[in-house]
Order: sequence, then structure tokens, then C-alpha cells
Amino acid sequence: MKRNALVFVALVVAIMAMLASGKYLDRTRKHGPLKLVGNVQGVPAPDFTLLSLDGRKVKLSDFRGKPVLLNFWATWCPPCKVEMPWFADLQKQYGKDGLVVLGVAMDDSEPATIAKFASELGVNYPVLLGTDQVSDDYGDVQYLPTTFYIGRDGIIVDKMTGLLGRNEIDDAVRKIMNAPSKASPTAQQNQAVVQGKSPSADNLDAKETSR
Amino acid sequence: MKRTIAPLALLFLLAGFALTQNMSDKSPVIVAPVGNVQLHAGASKTIPLDFRVDSEFHINSHAPHSPLLIPTVLTLTPPQEVTVADVKYPAGQDLTFSFSPDEKLNVYSGDFSINALLKAPAGTSPGVYPVKGELRFQACDHSACYPPRKIPVQFQVSVVK
Repeated sequence: MKRNALVFVALVVAIMAMLASGKYLDRTRKHGPLKLVGNVQGVPAPDFTLLSLDGRKVKLSDFRGKPVLLNFWATWCPPCKVEMPWFADLQKQYGKDGLVVLGVAMDDSEPATIAKFASELGVNYPVLLGTDQVSDDYGDVQYLPTTFYIGRDGIIVDKMTGLLGRNEIDDAVRKIMNAPSKASPTAQQNQAVVQGKSPSADNLDAKETSR
Repeated sequence: MKRTIAPLALLFLLAGFALTQNMSDKSPVIVAPVGNVQLHAGASKTIPLDFRVDSEFHINSHAPHSPLLIPTVLTLTPPQEVTVADVKYPAGQDLTFSFSPDEKLNVYSGDFSINALLKAPAGTSPGVYPVKGELRFQACDHSACYPPRKIPVQFQVSVVK
């Protein structure tokens, strides 16, 4: 009797595991493995090369040594419109101290439409054309706006999803402006949450020297 | 023992299934089941298709105020024997949200119906014909927006003499 019950529980656990793995496999079949999951604070920001609205190739790692505010947005996202003028202000205020604001448009609209939209909001920072790959690399960015605050060392200091208050954004920017420029031991420990290509301390150094 | 374990195991199974469902997979809009639609050959009939938007969300109406906003669109693909003569969308509500207090957005929230006018040409052979389609929409909550998505819509039309 007891043995039958154990077999039954084992069967249930096996079914649950199959469901979970099926879901994961389905996800990865469509998009490849996610790189950022869970708490991303202290995790190296996945590098990317995206096209800007003026057709330039922009690589995130080119900004290593500078704090980066990476904002995912779309023209069909009214809450995103609220933040963008704030980011333009922050670019004006902290640009001289090295702050780089990058907008990533997760949009199917034509670049000209995106450019007009950004211009009307006073955007004074590069707007890049988002891809499924970059969305996946950053943990399947579905909820817009989503903003990553990246320190001078390329480590994610904060992630904010949804529209928050201006004060919270100012605080996060101050944090990346003042964040230490070397990967902290905590950051390296937190690499466990990066799946797939997990940069080790060695290749972090390699990236830094390659700049 | 067996009596205790079985419901517990079932509970675990359901919990596990729920856990495997990513929140982003859950649609903020659901469609109510459509009963069997009866249509006389040579006649037409308006079929209301009922949708419900989850209480945390709103979706753009069919005619949002900005061309940049993605409208709600119902697309039906009937078989040859049935035609969709018209699709009538309800008017949206003009609402302001905390993220844009100065801008009114024309949205659907809660329950709404889209009316599809179906026709069966005279001489259509009696029978049951499946009508398939999809509702495309783009949802937001009080602070953020999700990419546009589609949910399937399907029902059957019984053509009678």
C-alpha cells in the first residue's frame, strides 16, 4: 500500500518535471536559451550590436567604462512616452560625466516613424532598433518600458519594469554614476543566473582589455 | 493512506502545471465560447462575439486616437459556403490613465462584443461549416504595455434550408 503511494507520488513528480521541461524546451526552441533570468543585479549586461536609426552599428561593449541607461520601449507604449523626456533630461544633466542613454525600440514601425516619435519627445540619445535576440538576451523583454541601469564595468546595477516615478529613475542613475568600476565579488557570484554563455571573470577582463 | 495521497498528488500536479505556465503566456483577453450558429441558405445573421479583458488590463479599441497605437482587429476566415459581410466593433471608452493624465486613450476594458454579419448564399448545401479567425490586440496595465498578440476565435455555422 505504502509502496503504491510512493510510486504514485513519483509518477506525479515525473509528470510535473515533464511539463516544466516541455515548457522550457518549447521556449528555447522558439528563441534559444534565455540569458538573463531572476534577479539580474550584479550580472554582466549581455553585449549586443544593434542598428541605430541612422544606420550605424552600435555595440554595448563600446561604452564600457561609462554608466549606461538601457531603455526598452515602443511607439505603441503610452507609459514609455512619459519616461523618455526624463531620460533626455538625464542625458543632458549627466552626459558630461559619462552617462550614456540608449533607447531600444521594440517596434515593427518604420525607422522614420520611430525617429519622428522620438524627436517629438525631445529624445537626444541614440535610439536603436530592437530585435528578438536582444529581447531574449535581456530575459525576454515583454513588459514595456523596461530599463536596465548598467555600471561602468558593464555590470547591471538595477532593472526597472513599468513606469516608475522620476525620483526612482534619478536614484538609479545616481547609483550607476557612482557604482564602482570593477566587477564586485557579488557580481561574479551572481553569474549563476546567467544561462548559456556565462562570462567568467577571465573573459570579463578580456573584454575590458579589448576596448 | 492511499485516500490521502491521491488528492494531495492531484493538487501537486495542478500546482506544478500552474507553475509551468509563464505569466506572459496568459492572455489578458479571452473569448466566450460561441454556440452553434444556425443560418438559413440565402439569409444573413449577426453573430455577437463576446470578449472579456482581464480587470488589470485595457486594450486599444478598434479606432484608437493615435495611428501609432495598435487597434483591436477581428479577422475571420470562413469556408467558401459562408461569407463574413461585415464586422462591427463597439465604440471604445475614452479614458485617462495615471501614466498619461493629459491624454485620453480610446480603449476596451471589461466585457465587449464584436458583431459579425454572416451570410450563406442561396443554394448553399446544408451542413456544418467551421469559421476560424483571430482577435489581434495590444494590452496595457496601469504602468506598462505588452506587445500585440492574437487569440484564436472559432465557431461553427449550421446552414439549413
